[in-house]
Amino acid sequence: MLTELETKLLGVMMMLIMFGMGASLTFRDFLIAFKKPKGVLIGLLCQYGIMPFLGYALAVILGLPPALAVGLILMGCMPGGTTSNIFTYFSKGVLALSIMMTSVSTLVAVVAVPALLELYSNLAGVSGAFKIPAENVAQVLVVLLVPTVLGMLLRKWNANIGAVVELMGGFLGVVVILFLIGSWVPRNYQLLLSTPWPVYFAAIGLGVIGMLLGYWLARLLRQDNNRSRTISLETGIQNGPLAVLIVTLTFTGTMQQEVLLIPVLYSLFIVITSSLVTYFYRGRSEREALARDQAKIGTMIGASPAAA
Amino acid sequence: MKQDSLYDLAPWSRHYTSGGTGKLAPPESQNLPQMLVAASKAFAAQSAFTCVTPNGMYGTLTYAQVDQMSDDFAVYLREVIGLKAGARVAVQTPNCLSTPVAIFGILKAGCVLVNTNPLYTEREMKHQFNDAGVEALVLIDMFADKMATIARETNVKHVVLCSVSSFFPPVVRQIIKGIQKYWNKVIPTTNLAHLTINDALAKGALARNDLRIDVSQYWKRLAQNDLALLQYTGGTTGVSKGAMLTHGNLLWNIEQILAIGRDKIDMGRETVLTALPIYHIFAFTANLLTFYRCGARNLLIPSPRPIQNLQRAFENYKVTWISGVNTLFNALLNEEWFVAFPPKHLKAAIGGGAAMHSAVVKRWEAVTGAPLAEGYGLTESSPAVCFQPLSGLRKTDSIGIPAHETAVRLVDDNGEPVAQGEPGEIIVRGPQVMLGYWNQAEESAKTIRDGWLYTGDIAVMDSDFMFKIVDRKKDLIIVSGFNVYPNEVEDAIAKHDKVMEAAVIGVPDAKTGEAVRAYVVKRDDSLTEAELAAHCRTLLTGYKLPAKIIFRDELPKTPIGKILRKDLRKEALAATQAPAA
Repeated sequence: MLTELETKLLGVMMMLIMFGMGASLTFRDFLIAFKKPKGVLIGLLCQYGIMPFLGYALAVILGLPPALAVGLILMGCMPGGTTSNIFTYFSKGVLALSIMMTSVSTLVAVVAVPALLELYSNLAGVSGAFKIPAENVAQVLVVLLVPTVLGMLLRKWNANIGAVVELMGGFLGVVVILFLIGSWVPRNYQLLLSTPWPVYFAAIGLGVIGMLLGYWLARLLRQDNNRSRTISLETGIQNGPLAVLIVTLTFTGTMQQEVLLIPVLYSLFIVITSSLVTYFYRGRSEREALARDQAKIGTMIGASPAAA
Repeated sequence: MKQDSLYDLAPWSRHYTSGGTGKLAPPESQNLPQMLVAASKAFAAQSAFTCVTPNGMYGTLTYAQVDQMSDDFAVYLREVIGLKAGARVAVQTPNCLSTPVAIFGILKAGCVLVNTNPLYTEREMKHQFNDAGVEALVLIDMFADKMATIARETNVKHVVLCSVSSFFPPVVRQIIKGIQKYWNKVIPTTNLAHLTINDALAKGALARNDLRIDVSQYWKRLAQNDLALLQYTGGTTGVSKGAMLTHGNLLWNIEQILAIGRDKIDMGRETVLTALPIYHIFAFTANLLTFYRCGARNLLIPSPRPIQNLQRAFENYKVTWISGVNTLFNALLNEEWFVAFPPKHLKAAIGGGAAMHSAVVKRWEAVTGAPLAEGYGLTESSPAVCFQPLSGLRKTDSIGIPAHETAVRLVDDNGEPVAQGEPGEIIVRGPQVMLGYWNQAEESAKTIRDGWLYTGDIAVMDSDFMFKIVDRKKDLIIVSGFNVYPNEVEDAIAKHDKVMEAAVIGVPDAKTGEAVRAYVVKRDDSLTEAELAAHCRTLLTGYKLPAKIIFRDELPKTPIGKILRKDLRKEALAATQAPAA
């Protein structure tokens, strides 16, 4: 389990991450998303349609005990992770769409996550002590909206500072996961060794299958390759640290340790799997861009080389 | 001559908004530095240039800073590296804060500016630098490697490197540099001997203090007839050559552009978006010079591709003016964010470079609520020759009427004026017309006859006395506003061992106005399209590359063996117009 200091540190880091996410947004982005909601709606469908169900389905199929099931379902219900924006950037995806999906899913989370968590926990037959109270989740999410809005205001006030904070927030997301791994894995390696394969399968599969389903659903709904890849990453990459935070705020002792297993494993493996997927997507993007360039060379006057 | 008088009476005068005379007071300044310094003093504390990167990071220089830094650069050129007045100095950068600093410094030093496209290949750079006799070069760090390979084959003795992020706040600068260097890998390591622009400015500032130099001594005696700029162009005949534009040419053209826009320009209060490259004459005169004179804040966009790169600039600043080409406006109109939130404060847009499509103009005006006025011009005329008035009669498929103080005639092949409604070559006389081509007496004499600039463009004057371009006299291809000369492309293709011969024409293209198409006869059957395209990429800048290569067994020719491009054009047009089978 995490010490109280670590839990507090995690809370502070989450605040900073959300501050960074806010700094990547403008109020106008939201208004555009509402005016032209298609991309974001598809994103939400993947985020809250596919992922929670996938978490539930894996828990049932693999016959996970309640402590693990609730961890997995919670993981599935989480909004998009801010690290998805970095991976999208590196995979040459549609950054604006990724940022929009992350932020809208985070906003919607205040309502969607408690409701979905309740629904799937009941379906999976999780009850009593292992149930995560909906108010807890809603509370955490509302609190996290404060730094998000502050970040947006910062962006509006000074675009330079906003952009720097945005970058730092994104990298902090990775740092937090590394921090979790660094502090949690050494103390629990015995647990890791004794963990049966279905748990690993669930923790890794949630992200990987989520990315696959996200991609194909987006393709099905006639999004182009690049947008589909972006939606795919966004779907598969959940806000792991947020799940860890909610678990540590809800449970204590060995119970916390058990529930925490899947969110931590997920966070550990998602960094690896999404790095591989990003590498693969980047190659695809570049090939497509090359083919496009070949089809229409020199479309724009002043095709000067890309800046940052 | 009867028809002579038709054009010479300037029947279009009634369309001039200001009084209808077409007369203009001469520029107050004798040379560009005088104008620049006057603006720098008048608007000293205001933002002059803000370079905006795709993620919204920015760097800003005030009028006072630009003034001081360009003074330092002038001293660097004259005292530190010892250039003489009239020496040619090239600037080869995308739009960034170093661009105006370098350009204004060169002009203040009494040197001659040579604008150079940063995407030029080594071969194109070498030709231009050697032809102009360039002694010093301000170059973007991204292309230092290209210069390194040809440096010894030119007379360029001093290279100053700048970055897109030069003069940005320190943290932001480091982040941008880091991303460029380690992630995008666009900054090559190079052994090219150089100074950074910061070092050059520091040396200049030091020398200025030590030697107590009054920079105005470099430019005080420059007159309107003195050379300011060599702007390279294929001209109307094909070989790349430098149009000699004087301080007077450019100063007059600024006033001519202002005469069109004055009603919608508040001195010291405008924000102009410069997405077109400043090394191109359109943005050079219309955006850089004209709006500096007006005390505007100039938003410099290093790369407008993808078009989304403009989003943060539109969001974070109240853009009141924008210039662009058809491709740029069209691309913006296809962006969700732009159509959902068109710039509220936009007063007007200027289109040029290539023919605007009237559908794009109409849609732009509907979306933004501000007029998009098309201008017509060429490198040889600084560039503005004709424009659409911003108010009054609007015709979206016309280039409008001649600029103030500009005489225009439409003439036949014998130089005789044609009747109203008849097509004829546009010839132009006015204070914006160049001196001639640099070291090209013969080409100059062909292009400027009896004081008239022969444009090679065919136009008609309609019943409202407005002009409309109908065709180009020569085979020049215009891809998104850039001139492509079939000769040059054919030469490049023909350099491939497996090519027998080639003919290049322009075909209409929805995106670029025209696209380059090559018809090639193989010498060796193993030649593939990909192989030839790769070969072309080593010799030609992107916009000159053939969009399509078609292999043929033979090319249509005249009896004496001259390839008939016009037959190929006719055939290509027929193919596009034929209904799909």
